[in-house]
Amino acid sequence: MNERQDAVVVVGLRKVFERRARRGLLRRAQGEVKTLSAVDGIDFLVKRGEIFGLLGPNGAGKTTTIKMLCTLLSPTSGTARVAGHDVVREAAKVRSSLGTVLTGERSVYWKLTGRENLRYYAALYRIPRRKARERIAELLERLELAGRADELVEKYSSGMKQRLALARALLPSPPILLLDEPTVGLDPQAARNLRQTIFDLKAGGKTVLLTTHYMAEADELCDRIAIIDQGRIIALDSPAALKEGLGAKEVVRLEIQGEPNGLGDALRALALVESVAVRPSVNGAGTCELQVITSNSRRSIGPIIESVRAAGHEVVHFQVVQPTLEDVFIRLTGKSLRD
Amino acid sequence: MGILKRVRDGLGIMLAVAVKELIQFRRYPSWVIAVFIWPLLFPIMSVFSARALAGPEGQALHAFAALSGTTDYTGYIIVGLVMWMWLNMTLWTLGSFMRSEQMRGTLEATWLCPVSRLGVLLGATCSQLLISMVNLTVSLIAFRYIWGFRIVGNLGLTALLFILSAAAVYGLGIAFASLVMWVKEANAMVFLVRGLFMVFCGMTYPLAVLPGWMRIVSRGLPLTYSIDGIRTVALAGAGLADVMGHIAALAAFAVVTLVAGFVAFRWTERRVLRTGALGHH
Ligand SMILES: Nc1ncnc2c1ncn2[C@@H]1O[C@H](COP(=O)(O)OP(=O)(O)OP(=O)(O)O)[C@@H](O)[C@H]1O
Ligand SMILES: [Mg+2]
Repeated sequence: MNERQDAVVVVGLRKVFERRARRGLLRRAQGEVKTLSAVDGIDFLVKRGEIFGLLGPNGAGKTTTIKMLCTLLSPTSGTARVAGHDVVREAAKVRSSLGTVLTGERSVYWKLTGRENLRYYAALYRIPRRKARERIAELLERLELAGRADELVEKYSSGMKQRLALARALLPSPPILLLDEPTVGLDPQAARNLRQTIFDLKAGGKTVLLTTHYMAEADELCDRIAIIDQGRIIALDSPAALKEGLGAKEVVRLEIQGEPNGLGDALRALALVESVAVRPSVNGAGTCELQVITSNSRRSIGPIIESVRAAGHEVVHFQVVQPTLEDVFIRLTGKSLRD
Repeated sequence: MGILKRVRDGLGIMLAVAVKELIQFRRYPSWVIAVFIWPLLFPIMSVFSARALAGPEGQALHAFAALSGTTDYTGYIIVGLVMWMWLNMTLWTLGSFMRSEQMRGTLEATWLCPVSRLGVLLGATCSQLLISMVNLTVSLIAFRYIWGFRIVGNLGLTALLFILSAAAVYGLGIAFASLVMWVKEANAMVFLVRGLFMVFCGMTYPLAVLPGWMRIVSRGLPLTYSIDGIRTVALAGAGLADVMGHIAALAAFAVVTLVAGFVAFRWTERRVLRTGALGHH
């Protein structure tokens, strides 16, 4: 019964890469084969009809996981089943039940037109020609590419290429979609449109497994999220439940002048402060951002600011906000997603 | 699944890949050079070198004839060079097919389809074969008008030798494409392989001029038999009995290289799934 319900079942999945250190031009250093567990024993289920997100920083193992699921990489150990088929033993069946978009822009031919691309892939999916023609027209229409379907892909914008790659994945009407960072490199408007398309796919009964390192995107799109870091799943729940996991807490964001040496520890020592993360401010200007999770901002804000002043820093800016998934991640790993 | 359906599916995939490759080929303007200009330009140098060495009255030709069995050095050189250019082009096209698909990221997308991955490569081979045929026809027609090159021997027998050579060359091409996928570099490999063939296969000279050890190497290369066999038949009008040895050798090469090609491809496929090298560049 489980097979029927769950689109993707992953149990103890691992992928270990070997890395050979190279010295000089050609010479390989002896005995320096290092192994790297890109995916280190993960378990999760994706239910039919849901949007499931793998959320994690760069190098967390998201792409590696997707590639094992779509049979482009063989797992080192563990099992994964897609639509009830084992990704190793029934690879061809897995590929027939999946539409996968890896790094979207690069998976289509730039010297072909959009329509020619789809025609080619339709042949590889062995869709009969007449049916393929209708399907291609329908997909071009649906993904708003119809007007420029007969132009070379090299003239398309990033968003259009991404949509074409999605059209390619949708050609065989697969019940399950794997999307690796679907909105990366898109402008906010295009990203929003793509998210809407993903919602439409879900409404059409498809199961979507996507990866992202945008917290807000995961929050908005996904029914459930697995937060993945260094090859391990460190939390898995709905976005709301993950945020509730922080309890009735609030986040104080401070921007201060200078290097906060030792300030983190001083803040952690304060009553009501749960955790502190520090990172250089993105806007440069020699400032730093502190994220302080507290169980009561009204009572802790005074001591926090005093501690900062006492350490000789000036507070440039501060705000108190409700926790986001970013804060969940910081709480779980002690570091920011952007680091 | 019925074997018939599988064959039909396979052919469909090969056709789709071939059509796609041809469309792309046509969209890069440099194709004119590859198909029409280069094959005409390339042999000129060797033909004029030969003319210079033969002397103004062709005094040295009897020495050439004693080793090669013909005084028609133009035809002799053209057969050698055409065969070599064709090998060269096959290696380039199949090697760079894999490489460019890998770099563009389309190889992964292709491998995501529920199709035989070897079928995709065979499709590329087909389109390459078609381009080569156009190329060959253009060259032969042009050489006929420029230098009066013509095939005097049995056309059917020439074709047989050519087809067997083709099988051997495409086997090499498939092995080569697998290798390129693995080492992720096509250029250096093409230069190495074609250089070997250029020196050892008697492209513009009879093998008799080579030192003994080099002649032994020559015997291990299929193109040696193709070039010599086709010269014997097409230029000197020899019959089946004269080239039985060539035919047997080429057939053996065809079997060996095709099997080696398939094995290399399967092996690379497995390796790539393990290391994830498919999408690297
Ligand atoms: N083919 C490979 N060979 C060796 N190491 C690899 C290979 N592919 C990925 N890795 C390593 O495995 C780790 C996980 O990489 P992966 O691409 O899965 O991360 P990711 O979560 O997708 O990150 P990103 O957000 O940067 O895309 C990284 O440390 C990466 O360097
Ligand atoms: Mg990734």
